[in-house]
Amino acid sequence: MVSTSTPTKWALRAVAVGYVFFLVAWPVGLLIRRTFEGGLTNLTDALTDSNVVSALALTGKVAVAAVLINLVFGVTISMLLVRYDFPGKRVLSALVDVPLSVSPVVVGLALVLVYNGRDGWLGTGLEDNGISVIFATPGLVMATCFVALPLVIREVVPVLTEIGDEQEQAARSLGANAPQTFWRITLPSIKWAVVYGVVLSLARSVGEFGAVKVVSDNVAGKTQTATLSVEKSYQNFAQGEAYAIAFLLVMVCVASLIVVALLRPKVHD
Amino acid sequence: MSAALTGATIDTAGPASPQGGRTRRTTPRNTLTPGAGVGLGLAMIWFSLLVLLPLSAIVARAASGGWSQYYTVLQNPQTWNAVQLTVTQSLVVTLINVVVGTVIAWVLVRDRFWGQRLLNVIIDVPFALPTVVAGLVLLGLYGPNSPIGVEWAFTPNAVTLALAFVTLPFIVRTVQPVLEELDTDVEQAAASLGASRPTIFRRIILPSLVPAIASGAALSFARAISEYGSLVLLSGNRPNQTEVVSVRVLSFIENGNYSSAAALASVMLFIALLVIVVLDIVQRRVARRG
Amino acid sequence: MSIEVRGLNKKFGDFVALDDVDVTIPTGQLTALLGPSGGGKSTLLRIIAGLEKGDSGSVNIEGTEATHLPPQKRNVGFVFQHYAVFKHMTVAKNVAFGLEIRKRPKDEIEHRVQELLKLVHLSQFSHRLPSQLSGGQRQRMALARALAVEPTVLLLDEPFGALDAKVRKELRDWLRRLHDDVHVTTVFVTHDQEEAMEVADEIVVINEGRVEQVGTPDQLYDEPANDFVMSFLGEVTHLGGVSLRPHDVEVESSPHHAGSIEGTVSRLVRIGFEVRLTVLTVDGEEVSVVLTRTHARALGLEEGSTVFLTPAAGATVIPRMAVAG
Repeated sequence: MVSTSTPTKWALRAVAVGYVFFLVAWPVGLLIRRTFEGGLTNLTDALTDSNVVSALALTGKVAVAAVLINLVFGVTISMLLVRYDFPGKRVLSALVDVPLSVSPVVVGLALVLVYNGRDGWLGTGLEDNGISVIFATPGLVMATCFVALPLVIREVVPVLTEIGDEQEQAARSLGANAPQTFWRITLPSIKWAVVYGVVLSLARSVGEFGAVKVVSDNVAGKTQTATLSVEKSYQNFAQGEAYAIAFLLVMVCVASLIVVALLRPKVHD
Repeated sequence: MSAALTGATIDTAGPASPQGGRTRRTTPRNTLTPGAGVGLGLAMIWFSLLVLLPLSAIVARAASGGWSQYYTVLQNPQTWNAVQLTVTQSLVVTLINVVVGTVIAWVLVRDRFWGQRLLNVIIDVPFALPTVVAGLVLLGLYGPNSPIGVEWAFTPNAVTLALAFVTLPFIVRTVQPVLEELDTDVEQAAASLGASRPTIFRRIILPSLVPAIASGAALSFARAISEYGSLVLLSGNRPNQTEVVSVRVLSFIENGNYSSAAALASVMLFIALLVIVVLDIVQRRVARRG
Repeated sequence: MSIEVRGLNKKFGDFVALDDVDVTIPTGQLTALLGPSGGGKSTLLRIIAGLEKGDSGSVNIEGTEATHLPPQKRNVGFVFQHYAVFKHMTVAKNVAFGLEIRKRPKDEIEHRVQELLKLVHLSQFSHRLPSQLSGGQRQRMALARALAVEPTVLLLDEPFGALDAKVRKELRDWLRRLHDDVHVTTVFVTHDQEEAMEVADEIVVINEGRVEQVGTPDQLYDEPANDFVMSFLGEVTHLGGVSLRPHDVEVESSPHHAGSIEGTVSRLVRIGFEVRLTVLTVDGEEVSVVLTRTHARALGLEEGSTVFLTPAAGATVIPRMAVAG
């Protein structure tokens, strides 16, 4: 390796550390400090506010539902893309990446156009049967599913490709049927990639804001998620509450980052 | 965290069976078992309901008004200013990322110092942080009563700041693995042939990084142009000053003007697509040479 | 004039790569640094090239004190095991690189590149990218690139290590002929004793960071300084307290020589024209013996035969040391 000269090295180091410090580290640190400025009062106040508690509960519920759906869908699509050939496979493999490059607001708009009860393509029919999607929990779940859709697939596909199907063929030759092969051979070998994808999806789902804002009517205690209540609290000058909820969300993210950092080397074993 | 969000398209060239290595066929054969076929069917129904149908609805709604619809929407000075601001700021931030992101990736791979692992973890924070929290976080340091006296909130600088925050990891995380895999023998070969350090960087290292930088820049630009959450609290959404396209789209939606929202959204999708395609061509051209 | 290395030490953490190495590499010759992997030979080569820094000691290249010179200033050509090609440049651009750095006139560069590509038989590939070449071709290109700057010395680090056996052998012969034409002082690292013996004028045997012996291939084979050199250059067996080559053990069916050692053939394997015996002596030693098939048949050998072993007249024999490699 050709090393850089000492002054260059220090200059590059200063740029990298300085940029990240001023852009990320210091601001995040300030948030944590402001949350605890009055001791634990900000947190306890927030956690005794029924609206905040129901926002957190809603976020938890929506995130878990979205993660479960994406888990099943993601593993299925990954298996199909890696283990089978079928017409349109390449197109599908490109399409599953699309949600990554669509603005959250546009995601919300897209769902509203199809599912709103007034003139949505499918929404009117659903509404007639008493099912409302937009401005209700199903819409929140769908919006969250949309934005986090590719995360499981992007983790599982490379691992599936890498392990190959020799083990599966061996299991088949020993008499295992398709479900047995999947549960006993395939799943254990992609386990860490799946867990990793789930953690990523969870962090993304908990944190989603734009898409959820469009499909939610933002009613406290009903369709207001945690991220929406951060905005609401801040705009209502309840800054302590905003900091407290934000802090809790940051904790979820930090936990995911730690899990991911711990898992990462195992995935590459 | 990085690979999941920044990698280029997933490579699914074929099943990983011995037959999979065969040359590509023009018409892919069908190896679906009945069970897999049902799985594919169910997955496709859900995918259509969730993604394909709604996105088609945007295109249909935008197209229903014809060209005049686009013209009317973009002719509105407030909307046009938002488009200009968003595109300019996204380009500026992408440029900043090209330089600083490459420097950070370099420092993470080629340097050793105390706290480096922490730096490596902090890079992922913008990916993990909810966007609205990102805005709140930046308000602390750059908002009213800023501890360092930089009150950028509610000015166009706030847009730069928020976009720089949320796009920070893209180029770092695409360049970093390439830099790690780079064969240092090649640099030593250049050194023993008499090339100075700046020459080695410019003629040997940089050409290998260009594809990664280009794909990171594409992701970074696409993200910046569609950003919404981090700007809500930080930029103040002042019309003609700090209002970005996503905010415009949202206010169209809130006013029930879905057609204008769809038209503007499709313009932004088109610009993002254009940049992705251009940078993909750059990337492929360079990659083909190596 | 030559490459002179004096008192060179190098540690990587706790690992001693080079331990007080003194060696002189003669000008104009093809010298092999031979030894097992991890023995320090590559480190020595890289320190000569300036790609690594010694902890102490000095390097002098053809009369120039080079210990503290950066690689850019040493005017050495270096060839890497994995070619280290510049992937984004054509073959011609790769070869021209060093000359462009030296800001030579364009037509001179072009002329020299053509000349070198001809020398390494790659003229028709000059506009290709390295990814379109085979391993052997890439390595020849790397060699041309190193030679382009007319280096004082040419250093090759396991240059054929990544190639398959057949290409390896071709390139080996080709390097020898090239050196006979170009005569630049050349040092190459190898762990393959056959390669070293076949190509080099002189061999430096390096093990565990120390120089074990320096000499011509014949000197090393006939007069190994110690058990390690002897065993590294060929097969070794032990008979009555000495080390010797299996084909230097004389086998008889009755005790003609004084001091011959009696034993029983415990295993007999025929490989083409040669026969390999494992003999269990009455002292409990297992001795390997190689003899021709004709000889074995004349003696009527089979498993269980009683034989008498002596070192053959003129055999290379060294007293057996406590620990042998």
